[in-house]
Amino acid sequence: MSTSALACTGLVKSFGDVRALDGVTVDVTAPATGLLGANGAGKSTLMKLALGLLAPDDGEVRVLGLDAATDRAQIRARVGYMPEHACLPTDMSAQDLCIHLARLRGLPRRDALRRASEVLFAVGLEEERHRLVDTYSLGMRQRAKLAQALVHGPDLVVLDEPTSGLDPAGRAEMLSILRHLSRDLGIQVLLSSHVLEDVERTCDEVVVLSSGRVTAQQPVAARDSAGPVVVQVTGDASTFAAGLRARDVPADADGGRVRLAAATPAALTAVRDLAAETGVGVLSLVDAANALEDAVVGAMR
Amino acid sequence: MSDTARLYDVRYSRYAGDREPRWRGVLALARSSATRALGVRRTRGAKVWPFLLVVCAHLPAVAALGIPLLFDDAPPPLELVSYVDLLMIITPVLVAFAATTLPSLLTRERRDRVLSLYFSTAMSPGEYLAGKALAAVALMSLVTLSPLLVLLVGSIVTADAPLDLVRDYAGHVVPVLAGGAVVALYFAALGLLAGSLTAKRLFAVGGLLAVLLVTPVVSGLVATLSDRPEIFAGDLAFAPLRAASTVLPLGDFGEDDGMEQPPDGLVWAVVGGVVLLAAVVLPLRYRTRDDA
Repeated sequence: MSTSALACTGLVKSFGDVRALDGVTVDVTAPATGLLGANGAGKSTLMKLALGLLAPDDGEVRVLGLDAATDRAQIRARVGYMPEHACLPTDMSAQDLCIHLARLRGLPRRDALRRASEVLFAVGLEEERHRLVDTYSLGMRQRAKLAQALVHGPDLVVLDEPTSGLDPAGRAEMLSILRHLSRDLGIQVLLSSHVLEDVERTCDEVVVLSSGRVTAQQPVAARDSAGPVVVQVTGDASTFAAGLRARDVPADADGGRVRLAAATPAALTAVRDLAAETGVGVLSLVDAANALEDAVVGAMR
Repeated sequence: MSDTARLYDVRYSRYAGDREPRWRGVLALARSSATRALGVRRTRGAKVWPFLLVVCAHLPAVAALGIPLLFDDAPPPLELVSYVDLLMIITPVLVAFAATTLPSLLTRERRDRVLSLYFSTAMSPGEYLAGKALAAVALMSLVTLSPLLVLLVGSIVTADAPLDLVRDYAGHVVPVLAGGAVVALYFAALGLLAGSLTAKRLFAVGGLLAVLLVTPVVSGLVATLSDRPEIFAGDLAFAPLRAASTVLPLGDFGEDDGMEQPPDGLVWAVVGGVVLLAAVVLPLRYRTRDDA
């Protein structure tokens, strides 16, 4: 198990009468963890407390085992941050920006130059690194933001809505890079998003926040391609399930749907053949083990 | 031999090198801030104004050095223009340079919302302000200290007997450094103070110019009409010059006008007060680290 990226105990933070975090206690140890929650759930507040941008009213925050209140300098050296909002100086090139931030973070000039080239290559900006940030598309700006977060070789990167505003292709590429960070480079990732699919594709664990409280924390299990499935048919579900059982396929009617215990090739062939023989339409055939989505939706209510 | 091949991405690796002490980061911020303010690594248009003002600030000193070289009967440079005279002549340039260059050291980053990035992963607010203060003093030194040193060193180098002048002017070095530093520090404090109060450069520049242009007129009028010279101390454009003239050799502020000047103590109190105000307000303005 990895080092605890973020450990909070009884964390409370209010803004006026609004209690943004209400006694949050959580221990984040997975290589990549997604923070999920609706707008106003407390995700950004939790991240800002971890980054030292806000001070808690009560409770304790530890980042990489260090006290967020007293060990700020050590935390700064080991953490990278990609904010959701525009945060890049528009009159600098991505190369200059990465070198500049690497120097501020204590890297010698030669190392800063080398690291800037490496991270810009890693995020796919090597060809455009000398252009001013002002001339970048939104996708390129997101990449530049990620590059600066990685330039000093952090142990933990905090990413606030990294796919925000990206087109589908840009989003897929960004998610692929993020998965690469935790899986191949050993960098712990804490990602805030309100898109479950982004978290499923990049994270090992999900923490759900709702109204300032942690309402769920569970692993993101890899989907089993031969796991249980639910079939929705146009005819009577009980009759269809009985027909499948007659073909030695374990199946039960569940309300208006038919639940198959395993989506083996033989079972799927039986569904197809039975539907064709009886003239029943198959409306949908979906993974029944979508426990994460159910849990997240339930936890966000 | 293994029958499985492994692919390594050698272009990106975790950084395992040494980190420099924090003061190097502060110096890096000061250097990059100062060079950006001068337009270095920016568009050509961004360079024109600051470099024009730097050149203008040096012109009187260069002229004072050139005249004795061109005309045999001309007096030596420091008799043509004293250090105090030089600062008086270039005060409009100092005001223009301070107002247009210094506030953007702070406003630009607040506008671009870079502060949360700096304060979460790069440096503390204290280190940030230290870097900006160094940048501001270094920039102002280009138009205060540098012309004074050009005049001093040029006077020695262009003299008929330079070695004799080295002996004569050796006592000028420390006062010139001190006088130039006082003026630079004062304008740096005022410029950063204006820049810390808003994210909009235009407001900061306008506010600072208003203070530096209005206070000389108002304090001059009130002091003259009421015949109370101490009110001249409220002239925030010339206050640092009045203070510097108490340490600079060869001439005092306003001696040619024959006007009575405010007490030195009051002038130093005004200069110190402005610097102290900046030292108090700036940390307060950066107490909130989040700019999102």
